[in-house]
Amino acid sequence: MAQVHLRNVVKKYGAVQVVHGIDLEIQDNEFVVLVGPSGCGKSTTLRMIAGLEAISEGEVSIGDRVVNDLPPRHRNISMVFQNYALYPHMTVRENLGFSLKIAKRPQAEIDKAVDEAAQILSLADYMDRKPGALSGGQRQRVAMGRAIVRHPEVFLFDEPLSNLDAKLRTQMRTEIKKLHQKVKSTIVYVTHDQVEAMTLADRIVIMRDGHIEQVGTPLDVFETPANTFVATFIGSPPMNLLPGTVSGDRLALTDGPVVPLPPQFAGNVAEGQEIILGLRADNLMPVGHTMPMEGAYAEFDMTVNLSEPLGTETLLFGSLAGREVQAKMLSPRPVKDGERLRFQLDLTRCHLFDAKTQQSLR
Amino acid sequence: MSRFRPPAWFVLLLPAIIILAAVVLVPLILSFYSSFTPYKLTRPETLYKWIGTFNYEKAMKSAHFWAAFGRTVLLLTIALNLEMLMGLGLALLVNKVTYGQRALRTIMMFPMMFSPVLVGFQFKFIFNDNVGLVNNALQSLGLTDRAIPWLVDGQLAFIAILTAEMWSATSVFAILILAGLFAVPRDPIEAAKVDGCTPWQSFRHITLPYVMPFIYIALAIRSLDVARAYDIVQIMTNGGPARRTELLWTLIGRTGYVDAKMGYANAMGYISIFLAIIFTVYFFRKLNAARSELGMAG
Amino acid sequence: MNENLQHRIRARLLKVLHFVTLFIAMAIICVPGLWVVLNSFRPTVEIMAKPPVWIPNELNLDNYRAMFGAAGEGGVPVLQYFTNSLIISVTSTAIAILIGMAGGYAFARYRFKGKSGIFIGLMLTRAVPGVSLSLPLFIVMAKTGLIDTHLGLILVYVALNVPFTIWLIDGFFRQVPIDLAEAAEIDGCTRWQAFWRVEFPVARAGVASAGIFAFLTSWNEYALASQLTRSTFSKTMPVGLRDFTSEFTINWGGMTALAVLMIIPALILTFLVQKHLIAGLTFGGVKG
Ligand SMILES: Nc1ncnc2c1ncn2[C@@H]1O[C@H](COP(=O)(O)OP(=O)(O)O)[C@@H](O)[C@H]1O
Ligand SMILES: [Mg+2]
Repeated sequence: MAQVHLRNVVKKYGAVQVVHGIDLEIQDNEFVVLVGPSGCGKSTTLRMIAGLEAISEGEVSIGDRVVNDLPPRHRNISMVFQNYALYPHMTVRENLGFSLKIAKRPQAEIDKAVDEAAQILSLADYMDRKPGALSGGQRQRVAMGRAIVRHPEVFLFDEPLSNLDAKLRTQMRTEIKKLHQKVKSTIVYVTHDQVEAMTLADRIVIMRDGHIEQVGTPLDVFETPANTFVATFIGSPPMNLLPGTVSGDRLALTDGPVVPLPPQFAGNVAEGQEIILGLRADNLMPVGHTMPMEGAYAEFDMTVNLSEPLGTETLLFGSLAGREVQAKMLSPRPVKDGERLRFQLDLTRCHLFDAKTQQSLR
Repeated sequence: MSRFRPPAWFVLLLPAIIILAAVVLVPLILSFYSSFTPYKLTRPETLYKWIGTFNYEKAMKSAHFWAAFGRTVLLLTIALNLEMLMGLGLALLVNKVTYGQRALRTIMMFPMMFSPVLVGFQFKFIFNDNVGLVNNALQSLGLTDRAIPWLVDGQLAFIAILTAEMWSATSVFAILILAGLFAVPRDPIEAAKVDGCTPWQSFRHITLPYVMPFIYIALAIRSLDVARAYDIVQIMTNGGPARRTELLWTLIGRTGYVDAKMGYANAMGYISIFLAIIFTVYFFRKLNAARSELGMAG
Repeated sequence: MNENLQHRIRARLLKVLHFVTLFIAMAIICVPGLWVVLNSFRPTVEIMAKPPVWIPNELNLDNYRAMFGAAGEGGVPVLQYFTNSLIISVTSTAIAILIGMAGGYAFARYRFKGKSGIFIGLMLTRAVPGVSLSLPLFIVMAKTGLIDTHLGLILVYVALNVPFTIWLIDGFFRQVPIDLAEAAEIDGCTRWQAFWRVEFPVARAGVASAGIFAFLTSWNEYALASQLTRSTFSKTMPVGLRDFTSEFTINWGGMTALAVLMIIPALILTFLVQKHLIAGLTFGGVKG
């Protein structure tokens, strides 16, 4: 049983504070992804869980033990590093078996565990090579193998896929997901890539500048972002944000059209309140290219500056209220730059944020 | 002009080869030749008298020579090993320091700036039985009331010389090994910690293999000029008293310059050269082996 | 919590132990040197006093005054020795650097047969013990009239320093990407121009530190100098130190003052280049 609990965890480097009191409860067997722009303190947080970084304030516990002052070897964890951190002077086999050898397990047991890991990760053909003679993907798998050989209570991953090319990354992502299903255990996974976060996580923790911005399932954070940061960070292309003012039951977008106030926010706003309307490209389409919309919607004209055909859909870049806005066109047809189209936006699926606090008004 | 153009690398290396040939190679050939003659500085005509391997046989049969030879190998082996271990220890200590490390590194280089002669005089003074720092300190602390004859007793003098030699050379090891420690990537060390290593185990299994090439570089560099120890010994005891600290080098110096037996001295000189070369080649080979172990070669 | 406490206490103890050991080590490194410096400000009588005087009663510049005085302390012409050392060290360093740069460049940039053999061969010339080399050199120099001259010692020191200079400079040129020179050649430089305009400036710090290393070696060398110099006109400071010794006594006060004079330039130079020096030695060695 390995829950991981962080209680008000703070990290300071001298006078500089980089992690500002994080609270997080990770359940047994849960796959939690810490995601955020680089430099936001994800690795630092992970390394405090691992015991590679001292905890300045607060408490970390694994299972039911507080581990604040325990060295990594007493925490029963394993970790996969961004640069793999393989031991260059050992063969793949020795790399995989190293932790068990250190723990003075009998050789037969080591061999069994190593072969098993090699089997899971299809490494059997490379066992006697040194890391220098492996490709990036193979090194990555060795790094993972080294982690699973120990059967730890908690796996920690620090951007394990960021050094792989796009195709391999997708492939390894699937393997990690399968791995989690196979070797049931708690996983804390750090990445700056929101796609990785969305596809892998049971729960996503979105961080910025050493704070947690939102915790939730992938769908939660996509459907109900807590603030403009999460709204733009999760989802691709990023959500369009348009400033405006509440006026009666309508929203006057700054220097732009006036649209009806989305009904689901009606009770949460005050007259004259400065707001930000959040709108995903999927909910902003040229008339005739949308699913039939039920409920509230609005229409307005917009000039398309640029189009990016992607095959099944085309991304349209227009400008609205002086800002660049991305829209989508299903069942595409060629669009000329500068063409003026009539767009339809789905008010039931849009988001509203307070302009001052940037928090969701839901 | 167009007939033969030597390759560029050769032209570039030529000045180095010329000067080394003129200053090292030619004299060595001369000394090799003269080691087969009974050459005495005072009697130039003896240079042309061939006596075959007489000088070498004489050295081989001389108890003094073998004593000096053995003492030299012993001193080198003990000194290099201890310097390496202490240098490693010192480097590890300094590497752990986070605040003020630059200052410590600077202090560490201090002994490297001292001329070996100066080190010799310094320690001759420190170990002086009458007014030396060591005896004064021991007496003031009440640990002894005798004047310990540091530089007179054979074994004590060996220790005194060893101390001086180690003071002067340990920092070379420490500096180079420290550079090695800086070059150890942090990741594998952290991986080892997570894999369950105690600090000692991660040092033993990860750090040490990484640092090994640097240790061999230090050993190679040091073995290139171990004979610096000559300066120290010459000043501290000059092989005496009564040959009790005689090393190969002091023996050669005395035979050549004081007794003026150049031929004999050169024969022993050659033996000392081979000794130095064996040490050096050994460490260069070790260096190459350690490098390929880490996949650093090429 | 008990477990945590135990580990915290152990970490504390280790920290204290680390600090204490480090302090002792640094003290051992510093004390002999500082002792020399301190003694240079004390009268010889006090240095030699029995029972020892631990806390100096008087510190003065007498030793230095005597050293630089017209007659020199005990007639030791310290200034002349200093000048000799300076001329010999600077000249031999300059030449060794030029030769070493050519050689180092050859090793760093060209592939040729027997490269590692030649490299080790050059290094081995450095392994020849000074005493052993001084015997035949003494004979050769006596024959050619180079004995007891600046030129003689300069030549010897150039040869002494070339191998190491090559090692260091080779390492530094290897750190300069070869594309740099190639790019410069494509931009219209000759190979010669490419070297001086592009590669040399990048490796300059390294060359400087190789120079200082060579300077220190010449500055401190004793075994050869003690045999190849005879008179005040060519004796260097390490040899000059012996002038303070006589059959049964040593003038410690005077000697320590000369020692300080020797150390100061070495001290300044070493600190200037310590970083590059270490980088050069290790890089050249590790990357084969
Ligand atoms: N040793 C250190 N000293 C000072 N600041 C550090 C140190 N390590 C990391 N930081 C800072 O802490 C912040 C968080 O770093 P990190 O956790 O590595 O970010 P990321 O989310 O990209 O993994 C960064 O701004 C970084 O500059
Ligand atoms: Mg990171």
